[in-house]
Amino acid sequence: MLTLDYHALLPELIVAGTVLVTLVVDIVTRRKHLVAIIGVLGLFAAAVPILTLSFCGSLDFCSSTEASRVMFGGAYVIDGYALVLKGVFIFAGFVALLLSIGYLESDRYYEGEYYFLLVASVLGGMAMASSRDFVSMIVALELVSGPAFMLAGWRKGDARSNEASLKFFITGVIALALTLFGVSLLYGLTGTQQFDQIAVLSETVADVPLFTLAVIFIVLGFGFKVSAVPFHFWTPDTYQGAPPPVTAWLSVGSKGAGFVALLTVCYLALPAATDVWGPLIWIVAALSMTVGNVVALKQTNVMRLLGYSSIAQAGFMLAPFGAVAASGAGDLARPFQATITYFVIYAVMNLGAFGTAIIIGQRVGSYELEDWGGLSKYATGVALSLAVFFMSLAGVPPLAGWFAKFAMFRATIGVGNWWGYSIAIVAAVNAVIAFVYYAKVMKSAFFDDVPEGIDVDVAMSDAIPAPIGLAVGLAVVGVFLFGVLPGLAANVGNFSTDLLGTLGL
Amino acid sequence: MLNQYYGDYITVAVFVAIGAILVGGAVAANRAIAPRAPGGFKDVAYESGIEPIGGGWNQSHIRYYIFALLFLIFDVEAVFIFPWALQLEFFSSIGSGLTVLVEMFVFVGILLLGLVYAIRKGVLTWE
Repeated sequence: MLTLDYHALLPELIVAGTVLVTLVVDIVTRRKHLVAIIGVLGLFAAAVPILTLSFCGSLDFCSSTEASRVMFGGAYVIDGYALVLKGVFIFAGFVALLLSIGYLESDRYYEGEYYFLLVASVLGGMAMASSRDFVSMIVALELVSGPAFMLAGWRKGDARSNEASLKFFITGVIALALTLFGVSLLYGLTGTQQFDQIAVLSETVADVPLFTLAVIFIVLGFGFKVSAVPFHFWTPDTYQGAPPPVTAWLSVGSKGAGFVALLTVCYLALPAATDVWGPLIWIVAALSMTVGNVVALKQTNVMRLLGYSSIAQAGFMLAPFGAVAASGAGDLARPFQATITYFVIYAVMNLGAFGTAIIIGQRVGSYELEDWGGLSKYATGVALSLAVFFMSLAGVPPLAGWFAKFAMFRATIGVGNWWGYSIAIVAAVNAVIAFVYYAKVMKSAFFDDVPEGIDVDVAMSDAIPAPIGLAVGLAVVGVFLFGVLPGLAANVGNFSTDLLGTLGL
Repeated sequence: MLNQYYGDYITVAVFVAIGAILVGGAVAANRAIAPRAPGGFKDVAYESGIEPIGGGWNQSHIRYYIFALLFLIFDVEAVFIFPWALQLEFFSSIGSGLTVLVEMFVFVGILLLGLVYAIRKGVLTWE
């Protein structure tokens, strides 16, 4: 008898249902904002079973157990790690939807399909977090990317948007091909697709050169997805050209799915190859931080700047993992926790930064930094919100970003050898460089004069659309909450590794 | 074991070599033996022996592409249904036949929704 834990699958089922309903509503009605409302409600509803599953032990009606949450022969597992990341993906999708509502109404766009594709992409992220074998992982990864390719090109009349979509598509497909090639080699060597079995069987083939090759291909493919240097070249162009709400989703949802894939595969499937992917991730992390930050210094377009900033942040996220794995210091749980903590905080503050940038961009009519001069003189509230998110990205207490950096430094220095110390030094230097360009945006907004072409009355004529305001407000609350109560973020990080530990590792 | 593994590739290499010799030989023989008379009607596009009208480059309408996509959806659906049909008996013997049956209808339903969407968007109307 096949049994499925429907309670554990409920978040995905709700979002999958939402995807179908948005499609149906889109074809029966002309009032397209209904589609958006259904999408928002669907994601909101999906958050409920995530909460009941997280606190299952203290709820009477919850009969879901750890054993019953391992489904499809171990290919799909709902553990603490999966629940945390599903929460993040739902939050990111929720915010991206809210940001889109005001944006799409500002011009003539296809609306119904937009929401359909965005929710489908969120579903992919959620499936990603639970995938424990290569088949479901690749399907989930493509469910995230496929809709995102199209969303990036949503401004059909704009050549930059077309370029964004095409670049994203081509690099995405190359990355997929690399990963699949690595996976096929791994399958040939071990005869299984499932992570926990690969972890056991790969120990006997750890000396085979092909195994090393397979691991390198898999890590490189995911490197494209997380836009780590030297696989980052598509990121700034795509982030600048795509519609801003889509960029917000790409920088958290699509990148996040790549991260989840990289972490799960390295941690669960390839512990026998830490000597291969450890140094690789170490180098990629150091390069991402340095190149991302140094190039960001020269940017004049805020969307491009945020693109390079997200490349650099990816480096910060990978640093502890690379340091521990490269030095062979054993216990991967601690850097794992630091990386997840960093990712959760990054998601909140980056979405907020994009939300604020969208508000300003719509008022000023441009994303060029020089046009943002003197923002605080006519839009004080928006300028303050900009300050909150950019300072958080820079890592200033009491905003959430400082704790992310703190957890990262603690995990890297905690390694206790030169792999850890050296990357901690690289990260420290980069944190200072990053501060310069985040502060440059601040200087422009608070101290520069209002440039000639900007008509303040026109810029302030409309109220901030309610959905965008709500999204940014949520992110502000999140940034302060995680910053003032860092234990909260640390608990989330802990929760994500605790359950993982009980599943046979 | 590994030598055996690489040894298997010798077969592949031999096949590639034989293939290259066969094709190369045939082309070389053709060049050596065939009479050559360039120009004239040889440069004209072939259209079943009828004199061609217009140029060789033609645009085909984008709707052919969409038709092909729609066809592909149901082609892939069939690929999934055959193994499912083979396993259905096994699943009903362990008592979950109904679940498995319903799951296939859900799958087909989702695909049909895609077709309904395409029809609603006027993809299948031929102007």
